[in-house]
Amino acid sequence: MHNVWLIARREYIERICTRGFLITTVMIPLIMGGLIFGSAFINSKSVSTAHIAVVSSDTQLALDLQSELQPRQGTPSSQPTPARRPRLTVDAMDIDPQDGQATRTLLNRQLESGDLDGYLWITPAASPSRRPAFTFIPRSSEQDSLRSTLAAALGTVLMREQLAHRGIVAADADAMLQPVDIRAADLPLRQDHESAVVGVFILFFLMYMVIMLYGMNVARSIIEEKSSRIFEVMLATIRPEEMMAGKILGVGSVGLTQVGIWLSAALLLSAGSGAAHPAGQGIHVALTAAQIVYFFVYFILGYAFYSSIAAGLGAMTNSEQELQQLNLFLFLPLIVCFATLMNVLTYPDSTMARVLALIPPFTPLLMYLRVSLGHPAHWEIFASIALTSASIYAIVWVTSRIYRVGVLMYGKRPNLPELLRWLKYS
Amino acid sequence: MSIVQLHHIRKVYDTKVAVEDLSFTIEPGTMFGLLGPNGSGKTSSIRMMIGITVPDSGSVSLFDRPFTRSVLGRVGYLPEERGLYKKMNVLDQLTFLGQLHGLTASVASRRATLWCDRLDIAEAIPKKTEDLSKGMQQKIQFIAALLHDPDLILMDEPFSGLDPVNAFLLMSTLVDLCSTGKAVIFSTHRMDQVEKFCKSIALIHRGHLILSGSMREVKSGYPRNRILIHFEGDDAFLQHPSIESLSRYNGHAEIRLRPSPTLADDAQSLLTQAIRHARVTRFEVMEPTLEEIFIEKVQQTLPVKNGKLSMAQLEKSDGGELDA
Repeated sequence: MHNVWLIARREYIERICTRGFLITTVMIPLIMGGLIFGSAFINSKSVSTAHIAVVSSDTQLALDLQSELQPRQGTPSSQPTPARRPRLTVDAMDIDPQDGQATRTLLNRQLESGDLDGYLWITPAASPSRRPAFTFIPRSSEQDSLRSTLAAALGTVLMREQLAHRGIVAADADAMLQPVDIRAADLPLRQDHESAVVGVFILFFLMYMVIMLYGMNVARSIIEEKSSRIFEVMLATIRPEEMMAGKILGVGSVGLTQVGIWLSAALLLSAGSGAAHPAGQGIHVALTAAQIVYFFVYFILGYAFYSSIAAGLGAMTNSEQELQQLNLFLFLPLIVCFATLMNVLTYPDSTMARVLALIPPFTPLLMYLRVSLGHPAHWEIFASIALTSASIYAIVWVTSRIYRVGVLMYGKRPNLPELLRWLKYS
Repeated sequence: MSIVQLHHIRKVYDTKVAVEDLSFTIEPGTMFGLLGPNGSGKTSSIRMMIGITVPDSGSVSLFDRPFTRSVLGRVGYLPEERGLYKKMNVLDQLTFLGQLHGLTASVASRRATLWCDRLDIAEAIPKKTEDLSKGMQQKIQFIAALLHDPDLILMDEPFSGLDPVNAFLLMSTLVDLCSTGKAVIFSTHRMDQVEKFCKSIALIHRGHLILSGSMREVKSGYPRNRILIHFEGDDAFLQHPSIESLSRYNGHAEIRLRPSPTLADDAQSLLTQAIRHARVTRFEVMEPTLEEIFIEKVQQTLPVKNGKLSMAQLEKSDGGELDA
């Protein structure tokens, strides 16, 4: 144990004292903060506009649709305006759509030149009981999203027309069509779900990044020591297992230190600014103590899992180039986590999330999300920790054997049968 | 009491036999030379002595007991592949390695300073390892192997890459340690280095032990039939009947005499002849060198194509370095 401690301490001190550590400690929060605030800023400021034309032989329908889509200042539209709905400019065109080849050509030309973002072609119904046919021709797939806006507006317009037909006064019709507004009342337990998601997401991203970064650091430092041939001196006094453990612990503590610095800085900042926090930006990080504790638990599990794989990869290879060919083993599970992130974030208690969170390579990241945002059963939390710990044990068993043989092997990278043979040596 | 005892050890890597049926014993206070061309199994043998690798069969005993890792505190090892942490300064590095060998930090750093003084590299102490010359790094590594005052010192090619002055400095350090009762084993493929210093040797080739024993025993098995002569003038005396073979160089010749019970007289008669014809400036009767003995031994055990074998050929025949 003493040797493990010595090696871990050396590794820790050497890494903490580098300029690289200082730079990443300062830069990563800056970059991440910049990204988050930047994207929020862009979202809030950028309002897209679109210019479309409505072509109909029924002038009234075209005009109604125009006023529905393009509310005049002061008169609130009956349509609830989604935050990101583009501001529309609508031209109503009164042309017989039965025979509008010339119009079509003209409109298409305008689409090409970019004067128009799309046009709605309304073909009148064959019989009055039927609805007319609507065709929307967008300039590009980008404008295709307008279709749902148009459909909603058309629905309202047609509904109002029907109501008018049945002798209902326009004012009454407007009142009937007034959209229902459900206000999101504050939940008693999760006071600020939105900001909880943001906080958890930031921690998730942090965990992902630190595990990847420091896992790679373990592999890289093993390769470095392999090429500097320091191993043989060490192996003459200590066991390869001790070396590997020391290295993983040392590098991992550096990662924990870094995360610790970031978290305490974040806590200090939010405590300092207190209520004066710029909540107007819509970004407010709220984390409970339990979330932070679970973060560290799953961070340590994840780091141990991936860094012991990385240690094995490092022992098998002789150069960083060779390591990059094997990186897939390390990155693939992490990428899967990222791919399912949105789904788990939205439905943290879905069957998929529950199953994935119990599979050891995904547990640290996904179970952490579930614990923070969902309602996993106690046995699930317990099982996830137990399963991951067991697989960490298995991985360490395998990699320490690979390590023992691999660190003294120079030259070509081993193939699978050779690796299996290495497991038999000990 | 023996420090190292190898008993029929054997090690095979995949299909390559690195060491085959190797046995020898090393007593305390012995300077032991492990000799052989590159790839003959020297490094593999040394690694097995300290448990870095485990023999496939046979046994290793250190200090009269079957090998266990607990004795490693009494062993100092300088590997063939040198390696140090590049970014660490010399004192920290030596202290760290000393601590791994069970010293306390203060003892380790005090001894490190003393050793650096002794080996003339005191000015390197505050420097980073990567800023040092290769020779200096090698001395640091040398010190690292000795810091914990081991009873058994294993040095794999300790002098490769050193200039003669430094090689001599390290060699005499080892001789000093040896005289205080420690056992020193070093491997080398430079046989001339060993002749002066080693008390015992083992010659290995392709993993097989060719020859072992004390230097005196080894040499006494061979007659003093080598003659080196420096001369000016007529070389007709080189037709002397007792000469078996000779190599002529500019101003001197190396002669091997025919085996005979009257070898010493043959040499005298040759000298008389030479003086008669030429002006002799140097005449020396010698035992064969270790290198010659080694080549002769290998030739006896191996079929040889061109009759005469050189060290270079021996090395080539093994197909390069065996690292593992």
